[in-house]
Amino acid sequence: MQTSHSVEHAGADTDHIHGHEEHHHEETFLTKYIFSQDHKMISKQFLITGMFWGVVGGLLSVLFRLQLGFPNETFPFLESFLGKWAEGGKISQEFYYALITMHGTILVFFVLTGGLSGTFANLLIPYQIGARDMASPFINMLSYWFFFSAGCVMLFSFFIQTGPASGGWTAYPPLNGLRNTGVNLGSGLGFDMWALGMSLFIVSSLLAALNYVTTVLNLRTKGMTMMRLPLTVWALMFTAIVGILSFPALLAGVVLLEFDRLLDTSFYLNNIIINGQLLGYKGGSPILFEHLFWFLGHPEVYIIILPAFGIVSEVLAVHSRKPIFGYKAMVISLISILILSFIVWAHHMFVTGLNPNLGAIFTLFTLLIAIPSAIKVFNWIGTIWRGKIRLTAAALFGIGFVSMFISGGLTGIILGNSSIDIQLHDTMFVVAHFHIVMGIAAFFGMFAGVYHWFPRLYGRYMNETLGQIHFYVTLIGAYCIFFPMHFMTGLPRRYYSYTNFESFNNFNNLAAFMSIVSIIVFLAQILFVVNFFYSIFKGRKLEGEYANPWDSNSLEWTAPVERIHGNWSGDIPEVHRWPYDYSTNGRAFTPQTEPLKTGEKAH
Amino acid sequence: MIAFLSFAIVVLLFTVLVLTAKAGEVATELNDGNRNYVNQSRINGYLLLAFLVLMFAGSAYAFKWLMPVMLPKAASIHGLKTDFLFNVTMIIILVVAVLTQVALFYFAYRYNESRVKEAYFYAHNNTLEIVWTIIPTIVLTGLISMGMYEWFSIFNKDSRDPKMLVIEATGKQFNWMLRYSGKDGKFGERIIDTAHVTPTNELGINWNDPKSHDDFMSDKLYLVKDRPTLMKLGAQDVIHSFYLPHFRVKMDCVPGTPTEFYFTPTMTTEEMRQYLSTQPWWQGVSPETGQPRWQTFKYELACAELCGKSHFGMEREVIVVTQKEYDEWLNKQTSLYDATVKPAVTKEETPAPAAADSTKAGDKKATAMLIKK
Repeated sequence: MQTSHSVEHAGADTDHIHGHEEHHHEETFLTKYIFSQDHKMISKQFLITGMFWGVVGGLLSVLFRLQLGFPNETFPFLESFLGKWAEGGKISQEFYYALITMHGTILVFFVLTGGLSGTFANLLIPYQIGARDMASPFINMLSYWFFFSAGCVMLFSFFIQTGPASGGWTAYPPLNGLRNTGVNLGSGLGFDMWALGMSLFIVSSLLAALNYVTTVLNLRTKGMTMMRLPLTVWALMFTAIVGILSFPALLAGVVLLEFDRLLDTSFYLNNIIINGQLLGYKGGSPILFEHLFWFLGHPEVYIIILPAFGIVSEVLAVHSRKPIFGYKAMVISLISILILSFIVWAHHMFVTGLNPNLGAIFTLFTLLIAIPSAIKVFNWIGTIWRGKIRLTAAALFGIGFVSMFISGGLTGIILGNSSIDIQLHDTMFVVAHFHIVMGIAAFFGMFAGVYHWFPRLYGRYMNETLGQIHFYVTLIGAYCIFFPMHFMTGLPRRYYSYTNFESFNNFNNLAAFMSIVSIIVFLAQILFVVNFFYSIFKGRKLEGEYANPWDSNSLEWTAPVERIHGNWSGDIPEVHRWPYDYSTNGRAFTPQTEPLKTGEKAH
Repeated sequence: MIAFLSFAIVVLLFTVLVLTAKAGEVATELNDGNRNYVNQSRINGYLLLAFLVLMFAGSAYAFKWLMPVMLPKAASIHGLKTDFLFNVTMIIILVVAVLTQVALFYFAYRYNESRVKEAYFYAHNNTLEIVWTIIPTIVLTGLISMGMYEWFSIFNKDSRDPKMLVIEATGKQFNWMLRYSGKDGKFGERIIDTAHVTPTNELGINWNDPKSHDDFMSDKLYLVKDRPTLMKLGAQDVIHSFYLPHFRVKMDCVPGTPTEFYFTPTMTTEEMRQYLSTQPWWQGVSPETGQPRWQTFKYELACAELCGKSHFGMEREVIVVTQKEYDEWLNKQTSLYDATVKPAVTKEETPAPAAADSTKAGDKKATAMLIKK
């Protein structure tokens, strides 16, 4: 509440902003850049932390791709960096599994949940609904610092003797449930740190999500009815709701798992026999953990993709100079996805020994999700149809997103069908599917957002040429890696090498090709990071005090370029129309703040 | 050294890229002012169109070269049906993918700002939206029904053949224990307690149960052509997954929770080899063995659930034979009881049947432990 309090002094006269800032805001470096309660600064913190994790997660994948692509080669330089984990220049089996586990954990949670939602919900919710800040700036700050400490715990787990968790990001017991039995090196202290890190992450995520929902519901400016919200805000609010309802299940699951590990309870363990020794666990079920995990785990993929839906809807509409096609259908499909996302989790468990009747029900709901998803795709294509598309890096990533979402989403129809999934479950086909549909696609949404709103964050543009090179290399590279992976249909995933199997050993050249491309794609992401930091300091500046670089209708561009505390120097803007009045009334765009003309009908 | 050099080259490349890009930005700014993206849009329009062509060419290339390398046709009754369903779904989604990708990239090219005067304000069209909601719904209903029908026929316990072959597979780090019921066709009882589960009797077989005396373990999984098979699955330490890629069989093996999978192999190993010898890719010479690939073809059993550091090594050969060959093989097997328990019994000369199960060193220890408890 401090925030809005201090801003009210600013008064209506914009000329006084500077004087005002010098007088009242005696912010120290610590309160401005570190323990900031300003949503814009927190957004930057989430973004840059997310980018750090993105680079780490990507680097891990490059390392294990070296093993997968070149199982018979050695890379002596690896030993100098990794020591005992890569003796003789070959990544050890234990470390390989640690790499894939942490790659999944980091990218799913720290980049595409924390980094994506954290950045754009913080930036866009207050700006686009016309609020001075989040409902509780203090809780917002806490959310970032919980996220930060969760990251520290995860990062430190790389440096302990037994290495980080290595039983898969899904953390299934008993592999991850037995602490000192030697079933898995990473299931010792490494997994405890994973569990602690995830618990802190869940706290962060819940604090943030409650704040987002409250802000959207309560702090909308005058005239900003729900049906006048940009789709970004709808999507970010739904993301937060999904998080609030599903993350607690994972927290419960992980806490009970730690009980099993530390206190020898038997929530998930039953009749465990190791080297002919029957351990004392009785009556638990590993399947229970799978239920709890996937009760979050599946909604989690929508937590990842919904913000990207919102961002892309907005970016495509703005750059096509057209309203989003079927605004209401878009909102309704978001709601349907939100509801369905909670009743499909067991499609991850078709072949775990689940009751076959359940398998059938979950097939039904899973395939139903294809309907709202299809509607969204058609509407995006409808949006660019007969537009006047300005093909900037942001728009390109928006189009790339739709392409990826189509390619990856369609294979979901195959995987969601339980009887086909018997063969495909836990094979490279699944890896191809989810990397395209929620990995690459969500990244494309994120990039579209970063290129589009970078001027809002820093008052400068990112370099377009570098952005476009980044786009084409990533688009072509991602397809080169993941499209051919569909042909590895029968190959089990999470294999250190396929040489033990006559049946799986036929794709070695392809694997090497994919590994080389993954290095190139990784370098393209480094180019993005370079462009990002270079542009913060040297990028082309926005012109004027109030700039609207993309001629956009939504409220964030009515605020001054300079990011002031409280967002607007005078009164907060009043809204009179929906955000998608592009190329109508004889004008290229009509900001939401403009009153309806006489005789004009509101949307 | 090479690593260092490549690093230096990458840094150099990045510097050049960034500087060139920056110079380009400054030049555009001087020429067009700030807000002119028309030239970029024109170029990107063509590039997106080129990408569309490249994507289809690349996909066609991938289909041509990778399709033959994929696993051969299913060798089980249900596998043929799920493969059919896979193919049907695949064709449908390929059609949808082609239509939507073409529309997406073509529109991006056709309606980029260098080719269009003004955008067309078009916010919604209810008829269109209803149509493209209903069509996917109908198609999906078809796919769901087919899938469910197949699913229930795979897992329907009532339709099982009473003469089926029952085999027990137990996963442990990092191996499979394959138990056959022997000539009597019945498994000996297993008791999971510290008295029965010992390092020499990991499965906890009750040797007092006479049905256990002809049960035997096999290194290879023998299956019989056209004979329905029920796999009884379990795991000792962590979750494993029993995966027969060629038979489209997969089911998790969960410690403490029994699972099963019922299927019928349709081709013997030999028949599959004969079939593959007609396939061009399989006629090619394998670089590892120097023989045509089809000659060394074998069915395999794999683990499909991450189970620890050697998860990728749980390979077992699967051999499908005719009933006659199977019977011959069966006759040659020595039962586990005869191989391990009986010699110990004879040696210690303790014929009392009640004490039979405590004659083994490991069992003695376990009994002692039990008494302590």
